Amino acid sequence: MNAIREQIEKANEKVIDILLNSQPTWVDVKPAGEIIPGFEKNMLLHPGPPFEDVNDIVPTLRTSLCGSIIHEGLASTMDAAWEMIKTGEVAIKPAQDYNASCAAVTVISASMPVIVGKDTVFGGVGYASIHPGPNPKCLRWGFYDEDVEKDLSWFRDVFGPALGEAVRSMGGINMKTILARTAGMGDENHVRQPASSSALILELIPALLELKIEQRDDVIRAFAANDRSFLHVMMAGTMGILETARNVPMSTVMVAMGGNGTEFGLQFAGTGKQWFSVPAPKILGQLLNPSWTEADLAGYLGDSCVTEIYGLGGFSAIASPAFVRLTGGSFADAKKRTEDAREVSLGEHLFAPIPWDDYRGFPVGIDMRKVVATNITPTSHGGSARLVGGQGGAGSMLVPMDCFKQGLRAFYELVRG
Amino acid sequence: MQNKIDELFKSELVVVNIGPKMFGDAVRKQGAEVIQVDWKPLAGGDKEMIAILEALGGI
Repeated sequence: MNAIREQIEKANEKVIDILLNSQPTWVDVKPAGEIIPGFEKNMLLHPGPPFEDVNDIVPTLRTSLCGSIIHEGLASTMDAAWEMIKTGEVAIKPAQDYNASCAAVTVISASMPVIVGKDTVFGGVGYASIHPGPNPKCLRWGFYDEDVEKDLSWFRDVFGPALGEAVRSMGGINMKTILARTAGMGDENHVRQPASSSALILELIPALLELKIEQRDDVIRAFAANDRSFLHVMMAGTMGILETARNVPMSTVMVAMGGNGTEFGLQFAGTGKQWFSVPAPKILGQLLNPSWTEADLAGYLGDSCVTEIYGLGGFSAIASPAFVRLTGGSFADAKKRTEDAREVSLGEHLFAPIPWDDYRGFPVGIDMRKVVATNITPTSHGGSARLVGGQGGAGSMLVPMDCFKQGLRAFYELVRG
Repeated sequence: MQNKIDELFKSELVVVNIGPKMFGDAVRKQGAEVIQVDWKPLAGGDKEMIAILEALGGI
């Protein structure tokens, strides 16, 4: 075997070992500025790849960024906050470069509570904000006003600390166990996760009931009324796994994926923190309001697709024919999406088999060589943001082939020296 | 030699179709047996990518 190929295969085996045998566990909730290494007060984390020019930022993300600055008490108006971004007084950084992830239009600022996801086997730690619940007017969907500020403050002062205390008292919650218990219940665990969120609620409520805080019932009510809570927990868990996986040189496996509304990008283990980006395609499928059109949507915006790097979402499409239907696809399309992902993956999770897929598991470890060689690119699921704020729809998108080609070109330049 | 060629043309036709299925389907519709080989060019025919994949030892 070619010596380079031998090194690649060995590195990829290591990454697949990490992806398959890690144990993502929700261990805590802490303010981002206290727990995320390298986080500074005058800093915000945003989804997707970095911006070369802040003027490229779409309006909905601009609202989340500026709102977060006001939330931190660094500015008192949106205009003043925007000025701080333009002058660089407040730095904006891609969350995934800090082992964190921002779903949809989420921005993470220093005082915001983040879910801490630890891989208890290889030791990696990752972070994600807490899902804000069913209220569509939230920072996660690019809104900021007095109501949103009130919610953010409650999350910072009450909800986040309460969840952290409950999770610590349990010694953590293993995410793989939740996925295994709910396999075959119709979740693809990126855009649809009522089963896994319910399982998470069942695990956490006894610990929440033990809390000696005045607002205990409000905390339980908020957590129990959210069938998407598991998404953000799994995002933190995935980032923990990827902290270890991304540090394996010579590996061609994909380790970062996300969009900032303007650009969509990927990273690979063997090429470090370099992003390979293209103009962000739109997530198309179902619009939530018949009077809206595709023109109302921002390009791919969000990091929640990091769960797909772990094999969920579009790569697990066969697990959720109901969601695929929403994206305009059929049962056969659901099967094909998973089969395409299998074609370009190096591993398969066996702990959560899907009965109607012959009890197969879900694919994990997308190899950029395989994507380029076969000319098959996997399908990602997602929710789409409106340019002016709010969720516009939900659907799917083919992960752009050019990101893989750019990655492979850079990888080759690196190994060639 | 000529006999062998005559023999070939008189024998039952078995076609091996490589790549686009529609060519094989057209022959099958005319009653011949077709063996389909699923094949497509490496990297969609992108020569730069083919060269890189080969330099990395193939896949």
